[in-house]
Amino acid sequence: MGCIPTKLAKHTPGYEDPTVLASETSFSVCEVEALYELFKKLSHSIFKDGLIHKEEFQLALFKNSKRKNLFADRIFDLFDIKRNGVIEFGEFVRSLNVFHPDTPTEEKIAFAFKLYDLRHTGYIERDELKEMVLALLDESGLHLSDDVVEVIVEKTFSQADSKGDGRIDPDEWKEFVSQNPALLKNMTLPYLKDMTMVFPSFVVNSELDEEDL
Amino acid sequence: MHTYDEKKKKQPQQRPLLLNRYEKGELLGVGNFACVYHARHISTGDEVAIKVVEKSKIFKSELSKEHIEREIAVLYRLRHPNIVRLFEVMASKTKIYIVMEYVRGGDLLHKLSTDGALSEAVGRKFFQQLISAVKFCHARGVYHRDIKLENLLVDEKGDLKLSDFGLSAVAEQKRAAALFSTMCGTPAYVAPELLAHRAYDAARADVWSCGVVLFGLQAGYLPFRDINGKAMGHRIRKGEVRYPKSFSSDLTGLLHRIFVPDPTKRITISEIMETSWFRKDFREVKLYDRCSSLDNIEYEHTPGSSFDSSPAARRLTKLNAFDIISFSPWLKLSGMFEDGGCERWYTSSAEVLEIVSRLEEIAGSVGFTVQTKDFVVSIEGREKEEEEPLWIVVEVSELTPDVAVIVATKKGGDREEYEEFCNNKLSPGLQSLKGNTSLENAACGVH
Repeated sequence: MGCIPTKLAKHTPGYEDPTVLASETSFSVCEVEALYELFKKLSHSIFKDGLIHKEEFQLALFKNSKRKNLFADRIFDLFDIKRNGVIEFGEFVRSLNVFHPDTPTEEKIAFAFKLYDLRHTGYIERDELKEMVLALLDESGLHLSDDVVEVIVEKTFSQADSKGDGRIDPDEWKEFVSQNPALLKNMTLPYLKDMTMVFPSFVVNSELDEEDL
Repeated sequence: MHTYDEKKKKQPQQRPLLLNRYEKGELLGVGNFACVYHARHISTGDEVAIKVVEKSKIFKSELSKEHIEREIAVLYRLRHPNIVRLFEVMASKTKIYIVMEYVRGGDLLHKLSTDGALSEAVGRKFFQQLISAVKFCHARGVYHRDIKLENLLVDEKGDLKLSDFGLSAVAEQKRAAALFSTMCGTPAYVAPELLAHRAYDAARADVWSCGVVLFGLQAGYLPFRDINGKAMGHRIRKGEVRYPKSFSSDLTGLLHRIFVPDPTKRITISEIMETSWFRKDFREVKLYDRCSSLDNIEYEHTPGSSFDSSPAARRLTKLNAFDIISFSPWLKLSGMFEDGGCERWYTSSAEVLEIVSRLEEIAGSVGFTVQTKDFVVSIEGREKEEEEPLWIVVEVSELTPDVAVIVATKKGGDREEYEEFCNNKLSPGLQSLKGNTSLENAACGVH
């Protein structure tokens, strides 16, 4: 591929060609360019290096770079595919792709499993589930007694852990999700189909040749 | 990096495909800044109209980049059955492609030229739909400024679609200048205050143009005809109109209140909607403006049935531990996309049916519209002149047999009004239920 050096300078190290990203995801090349507008904004909010740092991610979600939250941490970790502490453009697009309405359910199920497998053991364990329920209750200020929390966790766990070995494996998770499809609602953002209209500044900045449309 | 010579060689030119999605068809029209093509989505077969804009042309014409970005964002939010819908936007280095709803039936000018003047009933229907669309736009701070028969399309069902927002709005300053300095346009729809080169109230100017359209539909010709520019300008400034004898007195009366040269004395959109001529056979448009987010909840409102049907038959969602986790707005990346919704959660040990009826009472007490389906209560605020009305969906679910969770989500409208309703009505109303009701969190995406 022919490169024009002056153009290269416009992009940061993690930049990837939109046509490549589009071919690997449910996004069109224009949608990838529109996502780049969002990415530029997020990745320049504090460190201005074209990479999304944890603080910038927290700033985007909470409007506060210092605020921490278990779920936001998990999302960040999963977006940081290379696990080097920052989200690059390619990682950003590929991860958001999980949330695209056209992405196969299997990918969403797998992503949700990784999300809830807090300690990366390959299983969702009872104490992880309880930790997440308590975190949500804490973040939302909902008051439930310990007994009630215990009952809910116990009941859910007994439903999901069909093999009864005290932990939920990926197959059990898949089965449980198929019985409770509402659990995947979070994994689809219909809004992602509208990116070209939500971040229209890409129309001015587009670098696509006519032939690539 | 951005030249793709290899790819070009590999794919010899077949049919012109845009974005690997749209098959470009015949040219539908040519304007100052754009050409419009018919196109077809290759996988769904859906027909669309694609407006192709040369970047060099618009950027040459003093139009700021921000202006175009803003206009696309504004059009995106205008979802109304009588407004041509924007589907997506594409761009290359040199061109912008705006993909819109394709309307088959042609425009009203064409219809008039073949069918002649319309009957009062048909003309009224088109006018009602036009006014609905214009009111909707004005409520969102959008002024068309180029309402004319050519911009009013008719679909196969005979419904009107207001079009050409994008570019006329984008190109507005430039176009207005051209119109008045060179008289190259057709000023027949223009309100007198625009002729005076003064600052004007765009909403009132749109009303005037709607009046010109209405007159045209009923007479078969325009009230201010371009026989001689100077004479026409004079008649517009005086609001001098000769009404055909065929016009009913109610129709003439309405037009008379529209063609008032002083914009501050001209009838407003909401006053038009109160007139008896307008109200006849008027069917309020159900706005699907914000329903995209509601895909998984259907509302079938059957009056009076909500509490007669057996409660056992109604579906109550029972939440499990993962459902609770999924309440976290951060898992939905809330905040990242700037459309963050607002949610409030409550828990209650009251009976779920009692909670639902309390929700209905609370909304009813402030005159809001309530629709209930199973354990989902949709609450809509009053229609407003200038803004989108408040819309809240409240869902009641069972956490344990003794604890219900109530989630109130803002689906539309102003955030402050939402907060006020929650703080002053919803929270106290729910807290006065028997049993413990607690609430706290309010998670709001920041706009």
